[in-house]
Amino acid sequence: MLTVLAGVVATGGALSLTKNASASPKPTLVVYSAQGYDKATVNAFIATNPGFKVTLNDNSTGPLLQQIQAEGSHPTWGVLWVDGATAFAQLDREGLLAKHVVPKVNFNKVGLANIPADGSYVPTGVTATGALVYDSAQISKSQLPKSWAQLSSSTFAGKIGMNDPTQSGPTYPLIAGLMNYLGHYTGKGSTAKAVKAGESYLTTLKSNGLVINATNGPTLGALASHTISMAIIQSSAGYGAEISTNPTFRVAYLSPATALPGVIGIDGKMPMAVQAEAQKFVNFVLSAKGQHVMQTGDPQGDSLFWPVISGEKNASKVMPPLSSVPLQTINPSIWGALETPVNNWFTANINNG
Amino acid sequence: MSVQLAPSANRAIPRTTPLAAPPTAGTSTSVTSPARRRVSAGSLVLWTLLGLLIIAPVGCFLILAVSPRVFQQGPEWFTLRYVREAFSGSTLTGIVNSLWVSTAVALIATVLATTIAWLVQRTNVYGRRTWTVLTWLLLLVPTWTMTLGWTDLLQPFGVASVLGVNTGWLYGEFFGPTGIVVVLSTAALPFAFFIVSAGLRLLGPELEDAARVHGAGRWVTLRTVLPVIAPALLGAFTISFAETMSDFGVAFTLGYHSHFPLATFTLFSAISNFPANFSVAAVIAVVLILSTIPPIMLQSRVMRRRSFAVVSGRTRAVRRREFSPLARVGVTLALAMVYLVALGVPILGAGIGSIVQNLGVYSSGAVHFTTAYYQQILHPAIVGQGLGAPLMLSNQIGLIVATLTGVVALVLARRLVNTAGGWSQRVTDVFLMGSVAVPGVVLGVGYIFLYDQPFITGHLVNLYKTLPLLMIAMVASSLPGQTRFMAGPVSQLQPSLSEAARVHGAGRLRAWRTTNLPLVSRVLVWGWLLTFTKVIAELAVAQILYPPSQEPVSVTIQSYLANNLLGDGTAMTVVTLAEMFGVIGLALLIYRLVAPRGWRRVGVSELGS
Repeated sequence: MLTVLAGVVATGGALSLTKNASASPKPTLVVYSAQGYDKATVNAFIATNPGFKVTLNDNSTGPLLQQIQAEGSHPTWGVLWVDGATAFAQLDREGLLAKHVVPKVNFNKVGLANIPADGSYVPTGVTATGALVYDSAQISKSQLPKSWAQLSSSTFAGKIGMNDPTQSGPTYPLIAGLMNYLGHYTGKGSTAKAVKAGESYLTTLKSNGLVINATNGPTLGALASHTISMAIIQSSAGYGAEISTNPTFRVAYLSPATALPGVIGIDGKMPMAVQAEAQKFVNFVLSAKGQHVMQTGDPQGDSLFWPVISGEKNASKVMPPLSSVPLQTINPSIWGALETPVNNWFTANINNG
Repeated sequence: MSVQLAPSANRAIPRTTPLAAPPTAGTSTSVTSPARRRVSAGSLVLWTLLGLLIIAPVGCFLILAVSPRVFQQGPEWFTLRYVREAFSGSTLTGIVNSLWVSTAVALIATVLATTIAWLVQRTNVYGRRTWTVLTWLLLLVPTWTMTLGWTDLLQPFGVASVLGVNTGWLYGEFFGPTGIVVVLSTAALPFAFFIVSAGLRLLGPELEDAARVHGAGRWVTLRTVLPVIAPALLGAFTISFAETMSDFGVAFTLGYHSHFPLATFTLFSAISNFPANFSVAAVIAVVLILSTIPPIMLQSRVMRRRSFAVVSGRTRAVRRREFSPLARVGVTLALAMVYLVALGVPILGAGIGSIVQNLGVYSSGAVHFTTAYYQQILHPAIVGQGLGAPLMLSNQIGLIVATLTGVVALVLARRLVNTAGGWSQRVTDVFLMGSVAVPGVVLGVGYIFLYDQPFITGHLVNLYKTLPLLMIAMVASSLPGQTRFMAGPVSQLQPSLSEAARVHGAGRLRAWRTTNLPLVSRVLVWGWLLTFTKVIAELAVAQILYPPSQEPVSVTIQSYLANNLLGDGTAMTVVTLAEMFGVIGLALLIYRLVAPRGWRRVGVSELGS
């Protein structure tokens, strides 16, 4: 057994092993990220801060969160950077996040709305979940529904698609946002009425032939093949398709769409030296240089976000000004706690129902 | 009774093996004691290895079913809440679906494999070696690539539409239980085929002749012969069942899109939420593992009831049934149709799909063919986002994992055979079959639970988030199947061969190299190729355990497909498959050039080519 292990270790080393095993006094910062521009950002950070050791664990949001949960009280991550604040709210509840990590930068209104009171995580940009991505070759702008209520009418039966919240990270916040809006939830008290209103709405969509796919890719594919003509998904996916693979695609908004911030947080269980390194990385991300790298690192994908720093401009001209987008912000602590039961309900009644 | 993937699995073998003379009373102690000590030491090493590779990581995951607090996944030290939760709603539906689908697939695969094996071994059907080689290729193609090929073919504005074939009527059928059973049956077919082939190969023509002499028709003859190869049929059924229960590729693609949940997908779904419900996933994993026990028990029960020993030194060579010219052509065409559906259609679907511009996109105009997707993946606009580095890495991982797995599996297979009939063999047998049913995602997360523990990372070895840990997990994932694959050929090795070499002065290694290696060299090569290709295509373990910045090719492909880059993802799949087939061809060529001619002739009938 030892021979086998030794052989594997030795050979693994020959394959440019990246594990932190150096004797350097400088700690290695491990960044868990699902952002398309993370590699560019890490490279730019290292170039700007010579001597820093940063290891990037780039993966989808789901596997990253699985790893963090399985690691439990023996975490290896230093920084987590994914879309959506609900997971961060859960990590904060479990006491895994460092507090007061928000850099002193000039946040705009949406940015400020997505900063938690204890400063345990930081918005780095914002997209909209529940954007209405449509194929202009199938349906004109004037034919689009004007409200969420109209969207659920029989006029649009069989024309609408969305993702599965158990497979697509941005989709639970979309559903939570719908519940928040349709149930007139004020942020206080029971969410039961809001949850019921959302479930009732999704059931109506389902009875009108709602098409469910796992993630943005297949849902946009269904739009491209004319299986559906509209999809309620994340705005950046719609803009990305419009400027790359599907030029007839457009993005519209029903009021309200839900703000989906890109969020970064620091592991509070790491040694202080690592947390200090992590803070420098967070500061870099929110700096003008970091924001520029974010906006250019994945030009047809995740870079299509709205900045949360005052004065920063959109990455692409296809995106309208943030001020014109009817965004609501949901309370990630309240709605994050409901993710599992809501997703289970969705699986049983909408996806497999 | 062991269930083996490959040749000569049935217990008839010992009848042909010279029996050792029973030890005399005076010598028994001196002979058996060292042997027992050796066995004990061997057992200890082996089970320690299996413990570190499979038992401990999987156990870490499974214990969460009733005790989530062990790994801080809940407040309870003991609870049955998650058992109740798993046996309700869509998870229960998934379990029930998996059980009936696996049973149906195992039956279909066994019947189909038996028919094909009989045609190849007992008739003059055309292209007998070709069908065997194609079955090998079928074994090597991962199920998710098969599904991708079918999807490319049948989806709206897909390859069939491009070729002017209206498959709208088939689309709805295929994306449902029918398609799932078809694809899984074709995936299970090779496992069943090689086991049944081995059973048939060992069966002489005497029984068929006797039945015919007594006036039996074809049906009665069949009913006479089939029970005799019951061990092989049951073995084929069991392995097909276990492989289908644990399949994730079809569950994640066809199953999901047709809203037909299978247990492996509901397991995956349970841990896709945040916070993940590892406890419900663990209950489902336990069900998957336990589900393999009834087929094994049935097999043992049948084997205990009667003897199936039919092989003797006087077994005559089989006489092939001669079809009439017309029937021969007809049967060959039918066989070709089976392989066209099983292998040709998905590969053609993916191949053509990768050169159609905007596959799956509505178009009322002419179809345009393009090589743009290949250019993009080979020369990506953004450095580091191409296919080259991930494919190279996966090949390196495959090379190491296949070699390590081959060595350990050979040792394990020898042990399995040497302990035949004893409790150790039964335990090993059940353990291996249960391990086949362990989904990769369970193994992956179990590895995090175990190998991120401070007492390991701080005091023993810190492998978490490294390539070595990923490779060890891949070895663990491949080992059960590989061992079963090798157990058959290894069971044919007669101890007298190496004993004779030792008597003539050869050392242990030389004795093995000169007597055993020639007999198993071919199966070692094919076993190596089997693991190599499975490792390159493996997704579940890879996605959870790949170290930072070192993405295997399966993860890269999945990432492209999930991000609306169907053309790029399909082109990547085609290049990866082509590369895999290239390695297979190269390995077989090297074997042909390097191995002595006598080595190559051993086992040709069951391994083809």
